[in-house]
Amino acid sequence: MEGSFSPPAREKTSNTMKHLLEAARIALGMILSGDGAVYAITLRTVLIALTSTLAASVLFIPLGCLVHFTRFKGKRAVSGFIQTMYSVPTVFVGMLVFLMLSRSGPMGSMGLLFSPAAIVMGEVLLIAPVITGLTLSALSGTREGLADTSRTLGASRGRTILLVLSEARYAVLTAVLMGFGRAVSEVGVAIMVGGNISGYTRTLTTAISLGIGKGETAESIALGIILLLVAMTVSIAVNLIQQGRVR
Amino acid sequence: MAPVLVLLAAGCGEQAEVARLSEQDVTEATGVSSSVEPMPGVQRLRVATTTSLYDTGLWGYLEPMFEERYGVEVDVLYAGTGKALDWAMRGDVDVITVHSKRRELTFIEDGFGVERVPFAYNHFLIAGPPSDPAGIAGMTPEDAFITLMETGSGTFVSRGDDSGTHGKEKAIWTSAGYDYETQVRNAGDWYIEGGSGMGPTLVMADEMQAYTLSDIGTFLSYQGDLSLVPVVDEGDVLLNVYSVIAVSSARDPETASAMVEFLTSDEVQTLIGEYGVEVYGRQLFTPCAGEDL
Amino acid sequence: MILKLESVTRSKGGNRILNGISLNVHKGDFFVLMGPTGCGKTTTLRIAGLLDPPDSGSVLFRGISTRQPERKLLPVRRKMAMVFQSPVMFSGTVYFNIAWGLRIRGIPEEVIRHRVDAITELAGLQGLLERNTESLSGGEQKRVALARAMILEPELLILDEPTTSLHLSFKKELLEKIRELHRETGTTILMATHDFQDALFLGTSGAVMNNGTIEQSGSMESILFNPQSNFMADFTGAGNVIPVHFHGDTAVSGDLRVKHTGNRNGAGCIAIPPEVIVLSTTPGVTSERNRFTGTVTDMNRQGRTWSVTVDVSGTLLDSAVTQGALDELEIRKGSTVYLSFKANAVRVF
Repeated sequence: MEGSFSPPAREKTSNTMKHLLEAARIALGMILSGDGAVYAITLRTVLIALTSTLAASVLFIPLGCLVHFTRFKGKRAVSGFIQTMYSVPTVFVGMLVFLMLSRSGPMGSMGLLFSPAAIVMGEVLLIAPVITGLTLSALSGTREGLADTSRTLGASRGRTILLVLSEARYAVLTAVLMGFGRAVSEVGVAIMVGGNISGYTRTLTTAISLGIGKGETAESIALGIILLLVAMTVSIAVNLIQQGRVR
Repeated sequence: MAPVLVLLAAGCGEQAEVARLSEQDVTEATGVSSSVEPMPGVQRLRVATTTSLYDTGLWGYLEPMFEERYGVEVDVLYAGTGKALDWAMRGDVDVITVHSKRRELTFIEDGFGVERVPFAYNHFLIAGPPSDPAGIAGMTPEDAFITLMETGSGTFVSRGDDSGTHGKEKAIWTSAGYDYETQVRNAGDWYIEGGSGMGPTLVMADEMQAYTLSDIGTFLSYQGDLSLVPVVDEGDVLLNVYSVIAVSSARDPETASAMVEFLTSDEVQTLIGEYGVEVYGRQLFTPCAGEDL
Repeated sequence: MILKLESVTRSKGGNRILNGISLNVHKGDFFVLMGPTGCGKTTTLRIAGLLDPPDSGSVLFRGISTRQPERKLLPVRRKMAMVFQSPVMFSGTVYFNIAWGLRIRGIPEEVIRHRVDAITELAGLQGLLERNTESLSGGEQKRVALARAMILEPELLILDEPTTSLHLSFKKELLEKIRELHRETGTTILMATHDFQDALFLGTSGAVMNNGTIEQSGSMESILFNPQSNFMADFTGAGNVIPVHFHGDTAVSGDLRVKHTGNRNGAGCIAIPPEVIVLSTTPGVTSERNRFTGTVTDMNRQGRTWSVTVDVSGTLLDSAVTQGALDELEIRKGSTVYLSFKANAVRVF
């Protein structure tokens, strides 16, 4: 991307409006010209976020099911705890993953620090509460008696869980979408454990962060616009899927 | 799913960039290598550099050169000097290029680094408003600081972070005879601890029409946007020496020391000396490999 | 014997809901679990249906304990089916719902088709198979729920208040459907209801619950004609429950002396079913040993009959009178009237 990696020929852009208009112009230029580096960064951002979301869904939707279907005391406390974790500060998660993956840490020998895999790990941890909690909500929102009906018609536990999950599928899909949104917009964790390495762990968000730190405001906003477009595309896609089903 | 797997594999040591472009174009436009054939059994070399050096774009310029020559993928990370040293102590990076002599020497003494090898230098400068309310233009850095402290007639924005620049500022205060912690930090409303990177600090100083200490690279980078001008730019204490140190616990010590050699080689030293002329109209660094700085 | 509950207890949220429930359901029975709302019928059914475990006590299905790991319990589950008070429909067509249980058992589609067709007649769901369950009325949904369970040919069918919240005419229809199902298929049925009349219509045996315990169990006849307590008498509509003091074959309450066919002394209760009390406007018509004079204090419709309340020597007795009989009597509030009833109709406890 021009200007992000080498000193730019700077134009005088003094006020906010000019920044915004310039940003829109730059963004359009990036998209239309098929700017290779920007596409690369965008693709990387999306792939990392998708991987994180997929991994977190595979791990934590079942966890949500487990909490919902198991009878145990203190269920409300667990639910409350999960919701508290929605607000876990990203620096906390970032530090945790960093210390784990650092060569001087327990998983150091895997050499995962400052790699896209590290970002995926961090994002998975970050969105885990959202996915678990919203899955739990989704399941709780299903019609009462559905599981009982299923059981008394001779369904196994597994079959019953699938049935209820299916009934709640739109809400669960929303949970996944929210997880993706959270992951794709993540910057703190991405920088801390990814290192914002150009061509390797630089994402749209970390590039924006760098750009702003260097005063390349218009370019950074342009990347931000592209990020929003990505998020919007995913959201629309999910909505279309949901509508298609309903019809 | 293939790109996803590739991405995960990338986390384990192999790189395959997803977009294929003309490497020449991209390297010229961005200073970044975009496609590299993975060499069997090749590690990634991690270089931690200070933000000020990173922002000049020098690494973006040199990185592809090293990668092609040695067939190693280079990852350049940037952080304040303190953080870069911390990474190195943990063994998470293989080479560091920083600019804080005192801390570098301690680092080497404690056994974390192989050898301190200065390779380039430039100067810091005190930038300030054209109106120069404190009238410190042309003074020595120490006198300028004394004036600011005694008269309080100008605002000063400090980095206030763990950076080399902040370290330099503290060194000037010490040289001027003040104790930083007890006398300078709470000197008054005119002394502001910013806590930001160099760029944003310059922007803040500009907004406040204040003075600040900056490295030449970032300053030139921002000059077009700011009203600030160089106010004090001469004085031994302003010397800003960048050194490269191979980290003792590097995963591949050979490649790490190869980087040191690379930066101090005649060819690269010349390139470093010429860097910046096209864009800024002047050189940003003076090569100094082998000199006792 | 199909189902046996032994001393089952269960608490919820600190409250004791079931306090030692024991019952036996035999093959082919239509066992009705009766009792007022809130006495624990649904809880008992849920335990019988293996949805909730008992806190203590045991549940045996065909003699096998149901206290087993889930894996082993599934085959037992598959021998039962349950229909809830407000049944939940699966999203989809009626066919989909009815076929569901068979599908998850891996029954081939052709067989399913066949069985669905068979049950459709029986359950009265002709023409509804392709309808989406969302568009069905409450009554239709209940029938779908019933078919959905019956098609599995369970060894035990559990029904929880199947006719509650149904319109009178639908209720009758459903009751008849259920009875027909029981007679046609011989399926053992365990049903809960708070309506004694429904229980009488359908049941072969049953138990009456009150506050988490079983008041009385046995055949419907024994429950109906041999209530063992005030509560039972009240519940079964035996009516006119009066605390008395017994002296041999006479029960005394204030100025009222009632003859019965037993012999006892001491305190107790009697119940005089309203339908055995005969009213007349002329004295000395019958040969009953119990003959009294009283004043009509109230007259209320009870469905198609009337309940006439008469003050006899300070005690109020309700008498069940048909419309026709009432017309003939030409009585109203305040009228003097003569009552008589057989000594052997008096229930004693």
